[in-house]
Amino acid sequence: MASLDDPGEVREGFLCPLCLKDLQSFYQLQSHYEEEHSGEDRDVKGHIKSLVQKAKKAKNRLLKREGDDRAESGTQGYESFNYGGVDPYMWEPQELGAVRSHLSDFKKHRAARIDHYVVEVNKLIIRLEKLTAFDRTNAESAKIRAIEKSVVPWVSDQDVPFCPDCGSKFSIRNRRHHCRLCGSIMCKKCMELISLSLANKLTSASKDSLSTHTSPSQSPNSVRGSRRGSISSVSSVSSVLDEKDDDRIRCCTHCKDTLLKREQQIDEKEHTPDIVKLYEKLQLCMEKVDQKAPEYIRMATSLNAGETTYSLEHANDLRVEVQKVYELIDTLSKKILTLGLNRDPPPHPHTLRLQRMVRYSATLFVQEKLLGLMSLPTKDQFEELKTKRKQELEKKRLQERKAALESQRRLEEKQSGLAPRAANGEVASLRRGPPSLQKAEGWLPLSGGQGHSEDSDPLLQQIHNITSFISQAQAAGRTDEMRTLQENLRQLQDEYDQQQTEKAIELSRRQAEEEALQREQLQMLQEREWEREKEQFQAVSLHTRTQSLDFQEVRPFQLDPGREPHTLLTHTLHRGVPPAQSRAAPKTPSPSSAGEPMRAWCGPPALSQEFLPPSSAPQPTEVPAPNPFEEEDLSSPTEEGAGSPPAAEASVRLSAQIPREYNPFEEEEEEDEETVVGNPFVTPDGSAPNPFDEEDESPSQRPSSPPGLGNPFEEPACTNPFEVDNDNDSGPEGEGPIEEELLLQQIDNIKAYIFDAKQCGRLDEVQVLTENLRELRRTLAKQQGDLD
Amino acid sequence: MNVVFAVKQYISKMIEDSGPGMKILLMDKETTGIVSMVYTQSEILQKEVYLFERIDSQNREIMKHLKAICFLRPTKENVDCLIQELRRPKYSTYFIYFSNVISKSDVKSLAEGDEQEVVAEVQEFYGDYIAVNPHLFSLNILGCCQGRNWDPAQLSRTTQGLTALLLSLKKCPMIRYQLSSEAAKRLAECVKQVITKEYELFEFRRTEVPPLLLILDRCDDAITPLLNQWTYQAMVHELLGINNNRIDLSRVPGISKDLREVVLSAENDEFYANNMYLNFAEIGSNIKNLMEDFQKKKPKEQQKLESIADMKAFVENYPQFKKMSGTVSKHVTVVGELSRLVSERNLLEVSEVEQELACQNDHSSALQNVKRLLQNPKVTEFDAVRLVMLYALHYERHSSNSLPGLMMDLRNKGVSEKYRKLVSAVVDYGGKRVRGSDLFSPKDAVAITKQFLKGLKGVENVYTQHQPFLHETLDHLIKGRLKENQYPYLGPSTLRDRPQDIIVFVIGGATYEEALTVYTLNRTTPGVRVVLGGTTVHNTKSFLEEVLASGLHGRSKESSQITGRSGSRR
Repeated sequence: MASLDDPGEVREGFLCPLCLKDLQSFYQLQSHYEEEHSGEDRDVKGHIKSLVQKAKKAKNRLLKREGDDRAESGTQGYESFNYGGVDPYMWEPQELGAVRSHLSDFKKHRAARIDHYVVEVNKLIIRLEKLTAFDRTNAESAKIRAIEKSVVPWVSDQDVPFCPDCGSKFSIRNRRHHCRLCGSIMCKKCMELISLSLANKLTSASKDSLSTHTSPSQSPNSVRGSRRGSISSVSSVSSVLDEKDDDRIRCCTHCKDTLLKREQQIDEKEHTPDIVKLYEKLQLCMEKVDQKAPEYIRMATSLNAGETTYSLEHANDLRVEVQKVYELIDTLSKKILTLGLNRDPPPHPHTLRLQRMVRYSATLFVQEKLLGLMSLPTKDQFEELKTKRKQELEKKRLQERKAALESQRRLEEKQSGLAPRAANGEVASLRRGPPSLQKAEGWLPLSGGQGHSEDSDPLLQQIHNITSFISQAQAAGRTDEMRTLQENLRQLQDEYDQQQTEKAIELSRRQAEEEALQREQLQMLQEREWEREKEQFQAVSLHTRTQSLDFQEVRPFQLDPGREPHTLLTHTLHRGVPPAQSRAAPKTPSPSSAGEPMRAWCGPPALSQEFLPPSSAPQPTEVPAPNPFEEEDLSSPTEEGAGSPPAAEASVRLSAQIPREYNPFEEEEEEDEETVVGNPFVTPDGSAPNPFDEEDESPSQRPSSPPGLGNPFEEPACTNPFEVDNDNDSGPEGEGPIEEELLLQQIDNIKAYIFDAKQCGRLDEVQVLTENLRELRRTLAKQQGDLD
Repeated sequence: MNVVFAVKQYISKMIEDSGPGMKILLMDKETTGIVSMVYTQSEILQKEVYLFERIDSQNREIMKHLKAICFLRPTKENVDCLIQELRRPKYSTYFIYFSNVISKSDVKSLAEGDEQEVVAEVQEFYGDYIAVNPHLFSLNILGCCQGRNWDPAQLSRTTQGLTALLLSLKKCPMIRYQLSSEAAKRLAECVKQVITKEYELFEFRRTEVPPLLLILDRCDDAITPLLNQWTYQAMVHELLGINNNRIDLSRVPGISKDLREVVLSAENDEFYANNMYLNFAEIGSNIKNLMEDFQKKKPKEQQKLESIADMKAFVENYPQFKKMSGTVSKHVTVVGELSRLVSERNLLEVSEVEQELACQNDHSSALQNVKRLLQNPKVTEFDAVRLVMLYALHYERHSSNSLPGLMMDLRNKGVSEKYRKLVSAVVDYGGKRVRGSDLFSPKDAVAITKQFLKGLKGVENVYTQHQPFLHETLDHLIKGRLKENQYPYLGPSTLRDRPQDIIVFVIGGATYEEALTVYTLNRTTPGVRVVLGGTTVHNTKSFLEEVLASGLHGRSKESSQITGRSGSRR
């Protein structure tokens, strides 16, 4: 705006930013602004001195809003999908870029060079072979010389007046020496000697390779044999004219160099350093872990669910085995780390670094994999799990039978219900629409809950919608509509049941078992539904509080995604108090305020109290609030369009009044994810009040800077009601003792609510709560009985 | 089009091809940087690469139990080093990869050096550029031009880098360049030459709309690199300096030892990846959340390790916990330091005036504000100079230009001569005389309307109102409206459709603000992918060094206005 209204170049007009009135000049605009809008915004008046500052003001407002919905601002990075473009991070992976190989070219050039080189080396070695093939110590010098000369023609002395290597003139004192390997001449200084042991090493090592290169008749063995005979025949003669080199062979520097290189190669081929041996073992261990660990995890998961597919002993063995491998990895890598540390001289720093790095990567490996191993149930626990599972199986069977009866009855009902439905045009049409028909006319599914209902199954979607309609109808008190809707819901459930049954047949026995469990849930839920229908006429609002124990029974199967739809129903119809809250109830029973019902469910007492405004009035009505996970959604980074926290509060409040509004399905999903991932660090990205302000002094103590965008720390730290605690929900599911703990906690909680309700004089609530309490106690007793 | 991924793929392929066993990675100075941008040490360790060495480092021990992967630029020195290495091999096998085209004669001399047959692979893998972000690459060349023309060595390096990028992305583009810049034309021609010469390499599957390479020159927009930045990545670079993802924090008061140098890489730092384009205010609140998250976990973990489940949860999450604690302390330190600098240097106020200078046309108000800030003792000489530079660039031809007065003010403030000289150098570098397009006042109706609408809505954020000139250029390009008389095609063929895959290269260096612009464009424009590159990625300091290196400094302001036309510009 400022740049436009600037008197510099563009003169489109001086528009008041608030009422868009066209004013003739800058000053008129300013005075207009002061007169007209000063009441609206005092800050603006204060800042109107320059339009630049006005712009800043706009930013301030923006910032203020941002402060309110930090959740939104925090998720900007994820909103990219809406714009149509693609975040460069999301660009589809391309194939490997262009490459060009020079290997064939390289090999061609190398081959030319190498052939020459190899031939040279081989020649030398063959000659060496010949030179060492006879018994040098016992042979006469003359004979030796004769043989030596026969191996390679010696260069004649006359041709070489100077040493080709050092250039010194040959004379009587500086005599010529011949290389026995190539026949060339050098002086004594430039002469090298090859010991017999070295010669032997070279020749014996090359035998294999040479035999491939040379023809069989030339193979070293045959050469040696024939030579030996001829030597022995002449061994009687002896004359010593020259210095004797019994155990050494004279040669020139070039030949010696070549041979030494060769020797080095042989050494390397034979020698494997300790580190390599250890390292190979280490790699084997790691491979083993990669094989075994997934197998074990599969077993452990199954066993922890109380299944009997695998035996506990076997799993335990496997666990011990895997752990042993880990220990081995640890010791091996430690050994590698300390290799040669005591040696003198100490190893090269690079060797040490290599050892350190191997150790480090092994540590990383162990850290990553070992810590992911879950524990097994103990024997007792396992027995417990098994019995529980058996019970559930039985129940399931029972329920199947009931379900069959039920469907029969429903069939009858359907026929009788045709007439009334026809009368109720609007609802009927909606009800009969295909499952994919979404939240259309009639009852509007409220955004709070429906926002999450992106179920893959259209049936489930429909079930969602209907449940939401029911709750609205309930709120509106239209009982007849409600009844038809509920019937509709039942039909849908039926249909879903059928689907599930079909699946169950196809699936393995294990899955079938779980399936049956689900049906059992359903059965219970249906029973409850009948109860509820009776109650509905008396205390509509109280249904929120109808606690059920279903949840407790449901929990052990949290890991099974196939079960979700059913729990969904369970939850929709029976707003169970989520049992997993481990807060110490007595301390914080009341503080959940009307606007922030979630508080009651937040994290550990210390934290939640810290976040509670002391002024918030205790309103226990709201306590068994809607979905505690809902605000996690709102604040989670993936959630788009989450309104500002006030808006979210409003919607939550709304859904508290109109029960069944929220979407329990979401909750389940969340929990499942958490359990599977086991990650308590899922960032509840909400804008929580932050201790940062108090604790990190330096950035926050900046009073001088204006409250513009620049400084994040001056932004009003809005308190976040939506403190979500993941930890408590993620861990313990499925384990008997812990569940008991939860039950006890739950009982404590309920007691606290009752107390509150009594104080506020809401007797009907007290009644419902007491009922819940009784139920909980009964379950507890039953569980304890089971344990005994 | 993801450049980080492209390089990473090359490196992974190299390691993969060398098979199992302990490995050492031999690199040169530049490829070390290239690799470090896409792989972390722990990541590469898991692929059995345990040692990293420079090919030119003496004193390397013979370790025949290691395989060597050599990733080198095909320079003369590297080839010589490698031949020496092969004559006396220190490792069992050599897998040789060159980051660019290598001559046949070099291959031959290498082959002849390999007497012991230790080489198992010789390939060209075109990872010859620094991949900063998926859509941003750099060549880390500071000072690419002498006067208005290329430094020949840098021209060849830039050509190599740019062609390597095209090869790694498998693009054979049409080329457009900025007519007003001689350097842009030269580079375009060089790239074209390579494409013609290596036509076999550039034979890729034809796409319907051929990709486009647009070559720009920094001097067309000298404003952008002079501004203070407020988005995380750009701000960190501006205030602390990012060098191959590394940030030197050693000058931060009271810094702990392990935070002297930190790495900010979006590849393996989730927080950074999510926040690098957010502005400082948002970072602040997000870092609060991060802290809080961390603190919430920490005490609880210690406090509540009573039940088995708690312990299990703790143990299971321990690595993540450790990782998180690293992230927290890193970002808290960085943001804390940014925050300290902002208040110490009075950057909010400075930035506001900078933005006014860059985006608005009110001379008197701008002058007044600059004068006011020059009197402020908290404003550092660096910031003072950049304000005057911005003023000088914007109001270069303004009738009541009072640059001499401001220069006096600078002198009175005690700003060193070196800096004062830079003012005229910057005007020489990117003044009106040089620019091919109008940086400050929009000319076409659309732009005016846009500005008009912006005026109605009010400026959203005074500190980030500036849009790099690149935005307008790219916007026109995407809509097929970029004028051919300003940005001609190289060669006869032109693009009939709107471009889809665009590579923009800025001679003289891009900025992180422009990177953000490109990022936003990518996100908001369906069907279009833009990759930005530059000879380097600038902050103000490095930009001024670039200007200094171009050798345009030293002339007084007057002479630049009157006699300055003698430059080599066409």
